[in-house]
Amino acid sequence: MNKQSSVVPAFLTPSTMLRLAIVGVFDAALMWLILQLLGDGNYPLAGILAVVILIISFCFSLDQFKPYRWLGLSLAFTTLFVLYPILYTFYLSTTNAGYGHILTKQEAVDFLERQQYVPESGQQYKWTAYRSLEAQDDYVLWLQAEDGTTYLTGLNTATKPAGLDQEGVGPADDKGIPTTIQGYQRLEKRDTVAMIDQLGELAFGVSPDVIRITSLSVAATTQQRYTYDDKNDTLTDHETGLVYHPKEGVFVTEAGQELPPGFRVGVGTDNFNRFFSSAALRGPLFRIISWNFAYAILSVMCSFALGLFIAVLFDSLPGKEIIRALLIIPYPIPALVSILIWRNLLNPDFGALVKLQESLFGTAPHWLTDPTWTRIAIIIINMWLSYPYFYIVSSGALQAIPTDMLDAASVDGANAWQRFSHIILPLLLKIVSPLLVASFAFNFNNFNLIYIFNQGNPPIAGSPIPAGHTDILISFVYRLAFNSAQSDYGLGASISIVLFLFVAAITWGQFRYTRVLEDQTA
Amino acid sequence: MKRLILLLVLVVLAVNLPLSASPKAVAQTPTLTIWTDDQRLPVITELSKQFTEEYGVEVVVEPQGTENTMNTMTQGAATGEGPDIFIIPHDNIGQLVETGVVAPIDLGDKADSFLPNSIQAFSYNGELYGVPFAVENDALFRNVDLVPEAPKTWAEVAEIGRQLVDEGKVEYAFAFPDLGYNYYPVYTAFGGYIFGRDDAGSYTADDLGMDSEGMIAGADWANTLIRDGYASENLDWEAAHVLFESGQAPFIITGPWAVDRFKTNEVPYAISAFPAATEDGDPGAPFIGVQGFMVNAGSENLLLAQTYLTEFIATDESMQYIFDNDPRPSAWLSIAEATEDPDMRGFSEAGATGQAMPAIPAMGFVWDAWGSAGLLITQGELAPDEALKQAAEQIRTQIEEAK
Repeated sequence: MNKQSSVVPAFLTPSTMLRLAIVGVFDAALMWLILQLLGDGNYPLAGILAVVILIISFCFSLDQFKPYRWLGLSLAFTTLFVLYPILYTFYLSTTNAGYGHILTKQEAVDFLERQQYVPESGQQYKWTAYRSLEAQDDYVLWLQAEDGTTYLTGLNTATKPAGLDQEGVGPADDKGIPTTIQGYQRLEKRDTVAMIDQLGELAFGVSPDVIRITSLSVAATTQQRYTYDDKNDTLTDHETGLVYHPKEGVFVTEAGQELPPGFRVGVGTDNFNRFFSSAALRGPLFRIISWNFAYAILSVMCSFALGLFIAVLFDSLPGKEIIRALLIIPYPIPALVSILIWRNLLNPDFGALVKLQESLFGTAPHWLTDPTWTRIAIIIINMWLSYPYFYIVSSGALQAIPTDMLDAASVDGANAWQRFSHIILPLLLKIVSPLLVASFAFNFNNFNLIYIFNQGNPPIAGSPIPAGHTDILISFVYRLAFNSAQSDYGLGASISIVLFLFVAAITWGQFRYTRVLEDQTA
Repeated sequence: MKRLILLLVLVVLAVNLPLSASPKAVAQTPTLTIWTDDQRLPVITELSKQFTEEYGVEVVVEPQGTENTMNTMTQGAATGEGPDIFIIPHDNIGQLVETGVVAPIDLGDKADSFLPNSIQAFSYNGELYGVPFAVENDALFRNVDLVPEAPKTWAEVAEIGRQLVDEGKVEYAFAFPDLGYNYYPVYTAFGGYIFGRDDAGSYTADDLGMDSEGMIAGADWANTLIRDGYASENLDWEAAHVLFESGQAPFIITGPWAVDRFKTNEVPYAISAFPAATEDGDPGAPFIGVQGFMVNAGSENLLLAQTYLTEFIATDESMQYIFDNDPRPSAWLSIAEATEDPDMRGFSEAGATGQAMPAIPAMGFVWDAWGSAGLLITQGELAPDEALKQAAEQIRTQIEEAK
């Protein structure tokens, strides 16, 4: 650290202190989170957070890292919110995580080893608890077997038959239960209920005839039902004598009987194999992909054309501010609301547009049930939703086109169309082509419009798996992996990865193409 | 470097201070946490105050939607997250049991105080996992101005509807919200079913009835009306309800959730049990959705939670309180039998023959395929038998692939 003449050391100036304090609070919060995650056994996320803490602490406390401060911050968050989810998705895609396979194997074993059962030689009793007058955590139980015989049992004390006439046992109440036992005080129902889980943890009597409380009314001689053998990797059911082996994420017997809960295991590339060999791919996938491309390309082109047309039209009109304001109206309305309104406008029974068409032409297209018309409706709605965006962008870009070029063209005798197609459009495309690519990528995965408008319907007749004429890849994947109660996270993750690679490749290709375009026009 | 060290020391201190300062407090009286949806939140909160008064155990009731509860239970419960008790529709039971996150409940003799099909709905592999309190099912709604008497057979329903259309009083003979869930009573009247039951009485994916003769006969009933122009070719839940409440269709099959909107629109309706296929046939059976309490198997207060349900909830007083403050058909036998409200009576009568909605995993594949088949039938793309055979094939393919 370079020495300064000031008496205050550099790291104690108010602004430095404030910065360190903020970073300190941030680090403390993250560390607390890490401790929680470690407690839950979530080591990957804890590790990523540790990396985030290190990056941020270094960058914000050491002077030599000053230039990297904001870079470090974005790097830290990219790691956390982009890299980690992608890696986690990859991990999930190699497991069978999903319906019935949520727990880790250890958690499943723990769950099973907690189960108790009443052996055939076992007894069930009604019970009453008495608390020691001296020690807070010492109890005895008064037990009534079904045949009416009564017993007294305590912690680490053998269970013995006991009668009301026995010494130390006080007078009985109207149900035949002693009101007092020497040295102990009877627990009222109120206390019994409140303490029942504490009582439930206690083992009364001596091994092997341990008596536990299993509910408010029943205590029974119970034994642990399952034990897991680490060495042989087997689970034994002591009640039935069956031996289970883990197989594909669940314990099964030789005869194939399964024992829930299942657990999560790695399955390698099984999920990918399943997807690539599924009926979905033999069926409507080609049709869905071609419509997906047509949908994304047409949406972008039509919206851009309409937006540009309006921008050129109103570029030099009086009162254009008001017109502009009106034209932008579709933009701030939530897409969800717009789409639902369009759906109702096109409803064959009471849709306003359908009624209008019927009164004008005597008939109306089947907007929600005919495949072609439904697709046209979707393109029209997407134009309505996104032309204001292209209108705003184009209006701005038009201002940037130098008027002297247009003037020169006019002098050379170019008409309006020639000026537009030879000067305005090429210059405009150079500015907006990255936006067109981005808009394409967005529309390629525009699930909302497809799903809210018609859930991908009308359905395709003869498809081996449910699919619709307006389904795009993402809505089809939703049907496949998420629309059922299966919650097959492993399969879902693997399909997401396939889709991710697919869209990434397309976008990469398009950016290359536009760069070529830019080089040519530049 | 000094700065970094100072910073790290301070941070480590800050993180460790609260941990070391507070020795693990010994919980003397436990607290029960219950999750429920917004609608029942005040009811369960008020009711639980009596439990607190009686036993000195504090009960915290928190609002959580079904989806959130399911996510927490299936993904977080193993690591100690989630409530002690939660309220959930019964058809989630399969997933909860197979994930190993719910504990069985022993109601003993009290099980006889519940509607038998509500207890069955909360049973899985022969074990009871929930305490039901409300039953929901569809019923037949009719416009009493147009149809004063409840019809006995589906043929009669079609005849009345056609006549009303011919007289110009209505636009359609029947409003169909879908040809799936809300049309199930017609399918079942003609002998259709989705999943058969195995020897133990549980639904089995091995017996799929989607393309059975009864299902096809049921679909034919709607198809004939549509092809003759007496019902809309457009299958839309919302549109069907609008048709009924605006008096343009005399009949609709729907559930308790539609009652409010019909009252708001002042359509004179009556609710009744479902007609049968023939004069002496069995009435159509709707799917039954049962709401109930379940216990988190990972709860630290497992016995207390079970005690809360068996000793406190499964009583005349508590069930009456829930019914009075959250009026839907009760799963408690004595209340269900005593109710005077005509709407509730209608739903109860319609639900008397009802079948618990299958909670087996394969049911997840049914909805989409079934919905598509309904659309293909109404749009005239495929005949009922073709559409249902296709749906059955789609479901079988997916069941096979998921194995």
